Amino acid sequence: MRVLLSFLLLLFLVLASSAIRSSSSPVTDPFLGISPQDEKYYKSSSEIKCKDGSKRFTRAQLNDDFCDCADGTDEPGTSACPNGKFHCRNAGHSPLVLFSSRVNDGICDCCDGSDEYDGKVACSNTCWEAGKAARENLKKKIQTYNQGVVIRRKEIEQAKVGLDKDEAELKKLKIEQKILKGLVQQLKDRKEQIEKIEEKERLEKEKEEKERKEAEEAAQPGKGDGEEKTDGNEKVEGSTDGGEMPGVSQDDEILDENEHHDETGRYKDLDTDEESAAEAEPTSVLEEGTHNNPADQHVVETKEESPSSEDLIITAGSQHDGSTKKEESDEVKKVEEDIVSEKKEALSKEELGRLVASRWTGENSDKPSEADDSPKADEHENLEHTPTSPQEVEEDDGFVSDGDEETGDDGKYSDREPEDDTYEEEYRHDSTSSYKSDAEDDLDLSETTSSPTWLEKIQKTVKNILQAVNLFQTTPVDKSEADRVRKEYDESSSKLKKIQSRVSSLEKKLKQDFGPEKEFYSFHGRCFESKQGKYTYKVCAYKEATQEEGYSKTQLGGWEKFENSYQFMTYTNGDKCWNGPDRSLKIKLRCGLKNELMDVDEPSRCEYAAVLSTPARCLEDKLKELQEKLEKLMNQDQPQKHDEL
Amino acid sequence: MVSHGGTGKSSGFFWLNAAEMQIDVLAEGWDAESGGGDSRINTLWMSEAGIVDTFFFVGPEPKDVVRQYASVTGTSAMPQLFATGYHQCRWNYKDEEDVAQVDSKFDEYDIPYDVLWLDIEHTDGKRYFTWDSALFPNPEEMQKKLDVKGRRMVTIVDPHIKRDDSYFLHKEATEMGYYVKDSSGKDFDGWCWPGSSSYIDMLSPEIREWWGGRFSYKNYVGSTPSLYIWNDMNEPSVFNGPEVTMPRDALHVGGVEHREVHNAYGYYFHMATSDGLVMRGEGKDRPFVLSRAIFPGTQRYGAIWTGDNTAEWEHLRVSIPMLLTLGLTGITFSGADIGGFFGNPEPELLVRWYQVGAYYPFFRGHAHHDTKRREPWLFGERNTELMRDAIHTRYTLLPYFYTLFREANVTGVPVLRPLWMEFPQDEATFSNDEAFMVGNGLLVQGVYTKGTTHASVYLPGEESWYDLRNGKRYVGGKIHKMDAPEESIPAFQRAGTIIPRKDRFRRSSFQMDNDPYTLVVALNSSQEADGELYIDDGKSFEFKRGAYIHRRFVFSNGVLTSTNIAPPEASLSSQCLIDRIILLGHSSGPNSALVEPLNQKAEIEMGPLRMGGLVASSGTRVLTIRKPGVRVDQDWTIKIL
Repeated sequence: MRVLLSFLLLLFLVLASSAIRSSSSPVTDPFLGISPQDEKYYKSSSEIKCKDGSKRFTRAQLNDDFCDCADGTDEPGTSACPNGKFHCRNAGHSPLVLFSSRVNDGICDCCDGSDEYDGKVACSNTCWEAGKAARENLKKKIQTYNQGVVIRRKEIEQAKVGLDKDEAELKKLKIEQKILKGLVQQLKDRKEQIEKIEEKERLEKEKEEKERKEAEEAAQPGKGDGEEKTDGNEKVEGSTDGGEMPGVSQDDEILDENEHHDETGRYKDLDTDEESAAEAEPTSVLEEGTHNNPADQHVVETKEESPSSEDLIITAGSQHDGSTKKEESDEVKKVEEDIVSEKKEALSKEELGRLVASRWTGENSDKPSEADDSPKADEHENLEHTPTSPQEVEEDDGFVSDGDEETGDDGKYSDREPEDDTYEEEYRHDSTSSYKSDAEDDLDLSETTSSPTWLEKIQKTVKNILQAVNLFQTTPVDKSEADRVRKEYDESSSKLKKIQSRVSSLEKKLKQDFGPEKEFYSFHGRCFESKQGKYTYKVCAYKEATQEEGYSKTQLGGWEKFENSYQFMTYTNGDKCWNGPDRSLKIKLRCGLKNELMDVDEPSRCEYAAVLSTPARCLEDKLKELQEKLEKLMNQDQPQKHDEL
Repeated sequence: MVSHGGTGKSSGFFWLNAAEMQIDVLAEGWDAESGGGDSRINTLWMSEAGIVDTFFFVGPEPKDVVRQYASVTGTSAMPQLFATGYHQCRWNYKDEEDVAQVDSKFDEYDIPYDVLWLDIEHTDGKRYFTWDSALFPNPEEMQKKLDVKGRRMVTIVDPHIKRDDSYFLHKEATEMGYYVKDSSGKDFDGWCWPGSSSYIDMLSPEIREWWGGRFSYKNYVGSTPSLYIWNDMNEPSVFNGPEVTMPRDALHVGGVEHREVHNAYGYYFHMATSDGLVMRGEGKDRPFVLSRAIFPGTQRYGAIWTGDNTAEWEHLRVSIPMLLTLGLTGITFSGADIGGFFGNPEPELLVRWYQVGAYYPFFRGHAHHDTKRREPWLFGERNTELMRDAIHTRYTLLPYFYTLFREANVTGVPVLRPLWMEFPQDEATFSNDEAFMVGNGLLVQGVYTKGTTHASVYLPGEESWYDLRNGKRYVGGKIHKMDAPEESIPAFQRAGTIIPRKDRFRRSSFQMDNDPYTLVVALNSSQEADGELYIDDGKSFEFKRGAYIHRRFVFSNGVLTSTNIAPPEASLSSQCLIDRIILLGHSSGPNSALVEPLNQKAEIEMGPLRMGGLVASSGTRVLTIRKPGVRVDQDWTIKIL
């Protein structure tokens, strides 16, 4: 009841005051639009100085709807000065500073409606609700920060443990690597020694054999080696075909896909010769046709004239010179002209249409179809990227937990287990894409490393072997001993390789920027995913970011760095865009309880943007700041607060 | 063709034909033999087909030629006020969120704009009159959100119709037989944005009428009264046709071959769309339709732009001769894409382009979808400030531009004029196409090269010129070397003119409606000046019934007088005041003025020449009549005491 009452009272006040305002003379309060801190400046004397020092004005000129000071000092409460600022108190909510241009422009900008007082619109006072909502939001935010800060602290601790572990492991591995290297070298020497002897034995045997054979077949002529050449010749001929034979007329020939494919290749080698093209009967075939062959998206022309390689469109010579190349529209016009001269019967009209369209779209010539739901569209969309096999199988990734996991703190896309396991799990994760073979090795490695004595065992074995073999230094080599040496060598050196690769990956990892408090340590080896429409975006920290659609994968960028004191993660030098820059991705990081990728967008062509919420960004300083802000709001709104409760 | 020679006299020749034509200009140097000496220039005109009408315009003044041409082809339509503001376009603002974001950024950076544009991607698969429901699920709400701030939206509608049996427009056009036919009599099938498309036969009045009906709120689902239209590809563009257009033997109504009417096709399309918007608004709302294709008479239907340009300095430079030429051929509501459509402008080029573009009659920023975003706030604080200032300059001059549009609407004399149109006797102006006049009062010199901070400007005539930024006076009839700092390109008010301004910056022209006026009186050597101000409701056709204010301001013998030059039946009232009168070149230092018939005194003091804007330019102080309190719709005199 009390709430309602005071609200009504407030409403009444608003109505009353707006009634007065609309009566005529614009500003009723001579100090309208002045912030409380500034009031002294205006009230101290009857003659007031423009803040830029340019002029003085009288009290009567204050808010008289005429701009005297270029900086707007004299008109804080009207729209007269373009550089002016209007302060609304917004009791019940936060004060707001507006551009003067918002005063009496018919739009309610201040929640208390104080910016509209000329009676043209009636603004209701919404500060109460807005303020309440804002405070609620702020409280929620603080709550998130409160929890986030705890998670972050934990992460930092875990990072310390993890890093120590990594470093310890690295140290240990380095020692092992050194020892093992020595052993491998010894084994290698021994192996080579054995092999030398074996080789000698073999040669001797061979010699004997040869002598025996030679004796048998006394004299035979040597063999020629010319036969193979024919092959090479053919190839050469094939590749020069197109270039050397401009007269070949293929007017009525409709190239099948394979032939056409060949043409594409050949055509690139051709010389530019615009003039000859004008006279020659051009037969340009614009390919894209059956949509089966993604590589065939571009134009093919079976004439000698040829565009610069970037042009893709063939420009037959015309009476115009080619000097306006830079302007694409001109090029298009040129294309038009070519087209006239061409026998359009020989073209697929659709192909030509797509091709010309591509001059604007800058994409594949079939870009327009992308939007028209034709079954081709999806396939062709991939053309700019590496043409992976266009199978229709829906991608089924391991990250099904998309979005809804509510288990809290652990990153929802993370397949990692408790921190103790980090190394092994992470390593496996890292390896999945590019280091597959190593990955398995590393599993072995980790198993072996778990037993502290494995190295000693090896050492012992090697010693035994070496000693054993030593006994048989004279020929002939003992077969079983030699095999043992070889086997031991193979095993040890492969183990060494594993250790070396592990060492280098650890070293690489430790060089990464994990943030001032190593709060991003847990990002290492982790990927975050977001599904948006037909695309799945996958962001792997310290590695790469991709956009996946079915089996087609486009790299949005390789890991670059954190920016703006860890507010952004950037990925650069992704796959090249058809007409644009190399793809890149900039991810804004913000405090959240889970690592969650969202709002992936492409504001400019091939420049992607996204948001990643993460506890790593729940900074304690920021929390303090928010708390202070809330406190201020609560204090300032004392009367309302009372009512609220 | 307009000729203008050393005698200072002009004449014109108009060859009316819509087929392909060739014009040989046999001027000096056109071949080896022609040589010089003969002041005569021969031209040779050839048309492929059709009827030819020819007209001679005898002048003798350049403006007379333009008037005479307009008497044959029509004068330019009176645009709505919003259309003379700044337009923000891009291929493409992607979705409703993007639109909201861009809109709010203009407010955040205090940059006014009037229209946000949506290119082809807003449609459902390039089916015009539809919306991509994933990206634009609530188009009406989106338009309303802009409309609340007085901002409009423009969507694109092209003449190629997607051949898709489930597309209502295609179905209807097919059933009604409204498509252009190929030579065999079947519906012509060509390739454009949507893929396989057919083209509405705009040559038929019946079909145009039907087309116009597509724009009703009922037929164009998701459209609202604040939505206007952009006609692109109306040459017509056919990607797989000869010369990227329709085959010459395609057939229009009555069996007319396309070759005979090709150049008029886009004009008729523009006409049909424009008339459709008039129908939609029940004759109460002036249409706004931007077209790419043009033909004599296009000026009666809306604005045009110069097509797909490139982000290069040369393209900025050449935009001026292009627009001047268009103006001479009657089409004054024209502009080039600010920043260049293709490619990424460096910030300096973009800033210079805004500074020049602020004086284009049609002022729109646009960009290809392969380019980086380039809205004015994306290039750092300083560049934002510079672009904001350029756009503000345009907005302060809107009353002047609007008055000039009215002049063009009545007489056909263009808003943007070559110098020789104002100074026909001054031979030094004849080949100058880097500077231009806005009306008779402003001369603007663009900066067209990178890294330039100086400019040589030829100021014609015997009277002086006043620098728009600092009020500095330059004598006429000579070349001046001057600074052209990054803040501005050189621009001058001609002595002897009075230019009306509105100095308050708002979100859009809509909110400026009630703002007071400033008059800038630039006195000539006889201490005289005059100028005009035209005001109407900015949107309806009521002005045709006399609902407008047209004032003439004359300063003479120390008295500034406002008189009505509208016919007696004209009537519109306005509460707007003239609250600031700036006197440039006044010989003495008066300190008060007598305002009649109020019989009140107004103070004269030194005030800023320009409100707001960049600090560097707002420091100048000039003689200012403070708050004379006179209304813009009334007769009054102000006597300098």
